[in-house]
Amino acid sequence: MAGKIKKMIDTIISTRAQGDPVLEKTIKTKLVLKGINPDSYGPSSPDDPAVIEKLTAIARDFNVNLKI
Amino acid sequence: MKAVFSTKPSVKEAVSDIKSQLAGYEARAVLYFASPTYDFEELAGTMENSFATASTFGCSTAGEIVSGRLLKNSLVAMAFGRDTVEDIAVETVEDISGACDVKKAFSAFEKHFGEQPQKMDYRKYLGIVLADGLSMAEEKLIEKIGDLTDVPFVGGSAGDNLEFKKTYVCAGPKALSNAAVLALIKAGREFEIIKTQSFDALNKKLLATKVDESKRVVLEFNNRPAVEAYALAVGVPPSEVQHFFMTHPVGVLAGDDIYVRSPRQVEGKGLAFYCSILEGMEVNLLQDRDIVGDTWYAIKAAKKKMGRISGLVVFNCILRTLALEKNGETGAYGGLFADVPSVGFSTYGEAYNGHINQTATMIAFK
Repeated sequence: MAGKIKKMIDTIISTRAQGDPVLEKTIKTKLVLKGINPDSYGPSSPDDPAVIEKLTAIARDFNVNLKI
Repeated sequence: MKAVFSTKPSVKEAVSDIKSQLAGYEARAVLYFASPTYDFEELAGTMENSFATASTFGCSTAGEIVSGRLLKNSLVAMAFGRDTVEDIAVETVEDISGACDVKKAFSAFEKHFGEQPQKMDYRKYLGIVLADGLSMAEEKLIEKIGDLTDVPFVGGSAGDNLEFKKTYVCAGPKALSNAAVLALIKAGREFEIIKTQSFDALNKKLLATKVDESKRVVLEFNNRPAVEAYALAVGVPPSEVQHFFMTHPVGVLAGDDIYVRSPRQVEGKGLAFYCSILEGMEVNLLQDRDIVGDTWYAIKAAKKKMGRISGLVVFNCILRTLALEKNGETGAYGGLFADVPSVGFSTYGEAYNGHINQTATMIAFK
């Protein structure tokens, strides 16, 4: 399977930023500093379980509900 | 805003000196930075008693900055009126190298302001974070803050004149180590955050493949011993890498922005940093640029955006200060802050979105 990571990243950014471009940039930076570079993942990126686990934890810390 | 300083050696005399300079000024908050030569428990209590109507907070330094000057062995302070600080809440987080529980502080902020920190408007609210610079915990602290709010928290790690023995953060009458002070401000005027690091990112990438994150040590880059891989990137023998740490740190790239991680020392075949690099993280080798010129440009850009700057709070990395001293540029650098009331200090690390090195983070008030 592929593409789950990008969906998770997009959900985290859109939920937290609510369409505000300044906040989108801020959230992207926070993700990079947590070790997840949003630009490194696309719709065809493999569903790496370690990255998915990390993003699940980040979403919980960000108070973002992931419904994927 | 009014910036003042004193070089008087005793706490009693120094605080009395700045209090007299601020006579008649109705301060809502007083932010201060002081040399570790002062007794901090006495300093925090004396500051609290001397400015009874203001929230007082600050920390120890590795050198102080005040309007146009870089000082040593001094007390510098910025008094903020209600026109700048409409409201403020100051909280402490203790045991940051252990539990580092910031939620209690944020519950207090929510109660004080009547708004959830995650929903606060980042254009109206502003955070200042001061952390123990020897705690090795700033990454975790700032990450936890960033999880709970998107209000920008800017600040620095307290210093102790490069003795690396003990640093202090102060809030009200308390002077603490292994702790952080968080101040959440409802700003009464516009502000901008300035972040400048005077480096170019080179197209030489290092992937951290083996890391001891708790000790901030990278054991391997690109599946090779870290020293060897770094030396290869810089283009020097491994035995000479320490001479290039200041001019060639590494940086995490977030879009076009650089978050600097500075090598501290060689540890075996690994490299110890002043800021952690996570396993699996890719960093770029950096090349230094003109600190004075870049900082001038960054301040000018903020001034152009806001129309004017009426006050600056500056968190300047001690490694930048050392580079400025080496190049005989401290006068020129201090001069950048001569036109507006400014206070700041030489830090053991800077805060903005994360913990960073060799950077100046600043709050510019319109």
